[in-house]
Amino acid sequence: MTTTSMDRRSLLEGALLLLGVTATAGFSPDAFAKAAASPKPSLPAGDFALLSAVADTIIPRTDTPGAVDARVPAKFDALLVNWAAPKRRTELTGALATIDRLAREKTGQGFVALTPEQRKELLVAHDVAALKPVPRTDKLTGMQAMMAGPAVADPGYAKLKELIVVLYYYSEEALTTELTYEHSPGDWTPSIKVTPETRATGGLGMF
Amino acid sequence: MFDAIVVGSGMSGGMSAKELCERGLKVLVIERGRKLVHGESYTDNLQPWEVPNAGMVPEEDLARHYKIQGHSFIQGATQQYWVKDDEHPYVTPEDKPFDWIRGYHLGGRSIMWGRQSYRLSAQDFEANAKDGHGSDWPIRYDDLAPWYSHVEKFIGVAGSKEGLPQLPDGDFLPAFALNDGELQFKAAIEKAFPGRKVIPGRTANLSQAQPHHEELGRMTCQARSLCDRGCTYGAYHSSLSSSLPAADRTGNLTIVTDAIVHSLVHDPKTGKVSGVRVIDSNTKAGKTYEAKVVFLNASTIGTAQILLNSKSAAMPRGLANGSDMVGRNLMDHLFALSVAGLLPNGPKDSFYHGRRPTGLYIPRFRNVTEPGEGFLRGYGYQGGVSRMSWRAGIGQPGIGAELKARTRKLGPWFTYISGFGEMLPNPENRVTLSTSKVDQWGIPLVEVNCAHGPNEQKMAKQILDDGKAMIQAAGGFVVSTATEPGTPGLGIHEMGTACMGKDPKTSVLNKFNQAHEVPNLFITDGAAMASSGCQNPSLTYMALSARAAHHAVEFLREGKI
Repeated sequence: MTTTSMDRRSLLEGALLLLGVTATAGFSPDAFAKAAASPKPSLPAGDFALLSAVADTIIPRTDTPGAVDARVPAKFDALLVNWAAPKRRTELTGALATIDRLAREKTGQGFVALTPEQRKELLVAHDVAALKPVPRTDKLTGMQAMMAGPAVADPGYAKLKELIVVLYYYSEEALTTELTYEHSPGDWTPSIKVTPETRATGGLGMF
Repeated sequence: MFDAIVVGSGMSGGMSAKELCERGLKVLVIERGRKLVHGESYTDNLQPWEVPNAGMVPEEDLARHYKIQGHSFIQGATQQYWVKDDEHPYVTPEDKPFDWIRGYHLGGRSIMWGRQSYRLSAQDFEANAKDGHGSDWPIRYDDLAPWYSHVEKFIGVAGSKEGLPQLPDGDFLPAFALNDGELQFKAAIEKAFPGRKVIPGRTANLSQAQPHHEELGRMTCQARSLCDRGCTYGAYHSSLSSSLPAADRTGNLTIVTDAIVHSLVHDPKTGKVSGVRVIDSNTKAGKTYEAKVVFLNASTIGTAQILLNSKSAAMPRGLANGSDMVGRNLMDHLFALSVAGLLPNGPKDSFYHGRRPTGLYIPRFRNVTEPGEGFLRGYGYQGGVSRMSWRAGIGQPGIGAELKARTRKLGPWFTYISGFGEMLPNPENRVTLSTSKVDQWGIPLVEVNCAHGPNEQKMAKQILDDGKAMIQAAGGFVVSTATEPGTPGLGIHEMGTACMGKDPKTSVLNKFNQAHEVPNLFITDGAAMASSGCQNPSLTYMALSARAAHHAVEFLREGKI
């Protein structure tokens, strides 16, 4: 098994590079291309830029960091190398290609070349269509039956989105700004009052 | 020669070793897996963003190495603890799958356990005698009660005293209290179903470390709920954090790892076992260790394998197997019978802080305070009520700033409860040895032939029906439910393959966990269980181990063995 280099310094350098390119919501095609330069991803540059644009559209920078700030594209790329089996990799890159194809069919341009507003408009529609529940064709039993969500129209897109979202919310950026996370809470307090500042807690666990 | 050899270093082996060492015996612990070091070998200090592959096991690894273990709780941060199925194969009939979930390393599955710790009750020890299934236990609750206390004090069990006959109280540390959602759930259930109780899950985590825990380097639980990675604080009991260090400080402990037990050596002249044959897992070199007494704690199926592979002219069916009960009566708890629901009326202004290492428990009520609906024995539920995870919305449509805003919000109250049901002892559910296949060390493969019977099937349906009814009684609506129990074995509570009993013709072990036919052989892992109850069994294994060690040392000193 190989491990794509993703040391802490390169993560920060990549994030800073992007932060220097644009300070408004949504990144430019150039920014996605530059971000792909270091560390070199396994995906071809064009595909990595597409991945970055999709991730940025699903989790944009707002008053908190977005997916690109949190280096989700690079982490996703590492998953393709270190985690995904060939079938999964094909499924995920296929889901990306579908989004690009939809963009070309609708606008005549690839997804990356669209404005952030156009990207969002297109992906909102695709998101709804792709996640539409459909009857299950596989038979699940026991805990699997309970844990599995409904089958959806486009499982490849569902997995693509899930991984982008999970990688973002596991990031230090998200766990210090969007959610709350204490690695060592210190004690269990069974009841605290909810305030307007209370945010959901994050982490790898189910609950 | 050692005074005692303990085969296996997991939950029961660690306790056997501690108790024997503390009584002055020179003890050798033999572990088939690799050495792990408390603290050093754990991954509990990895932050979420530091865990490789977002906590997922690489898919090709899962397909190649973890076809069975992948059905259980394996994840990226704990991958090192789970056996590779392809390296440690076993056989099942095609129509009777059995998921043998294992961890081969020093400390065994005590590193990986769920820590739920419940006593069996008087009713459980009488069950076989009353309904005729299985071997009548040769002990009753009162015989084991002091040993439960002994073990609870040592390991540290957080729990609440409830005064329930079907779930005896123990010597507890303070309970991890129910949260407000759970208190509301409890009030609704106990009002709608008098006789049912909702209590804090009893867990072997130090809610408040005591001086004798701190002497071993153990500390109070930090509410991280990262227990499955191993706990550097030693806040949950495991062989690595607790029992083996206690054994080691006596100066009487020797540990050998990477040594797979092939068989026990039986001396027909004395009728005793004289030693343990092992194979080095790396070099495959053989060696025999000798001792005056042997404790088998190789886990339920592993112990049966060793006994069956220890054939001799005097014992052609395997060691201590004159009854033909070795390998039979394999049980596991009905598992994965879970129901989940949303509680829209949950306390809106309440949350909690910390990640508690346990949840709620609903003790058995069927065939206790309410009749069984056409089935014998009963079940309890484990579960919890919590705010729904940020993950809940992942599969829902929504992207962009709206998705972020949605995810940031505290989720609604959500509950899941999962039944653990008692499986009847059935001699046809059994472990045998393959006559044609061996593993890479030349040891015959285990063949497991086990299935749920009519009683289990009726019980499984009722578990789901009762679970749904309780969620609805709490004002919730069910959003997800299992449809049938998980594959046998998946409960990771396998038991029964060398059962205790009064009659040597129908059981393997006597009331001291001593083999009827081999006086210096003691078996105190799950194999010894004559019935399973519905409670998580590790506490009982440890209590039996401590009790048996006490008697074994007495017998040695009296020259009886």
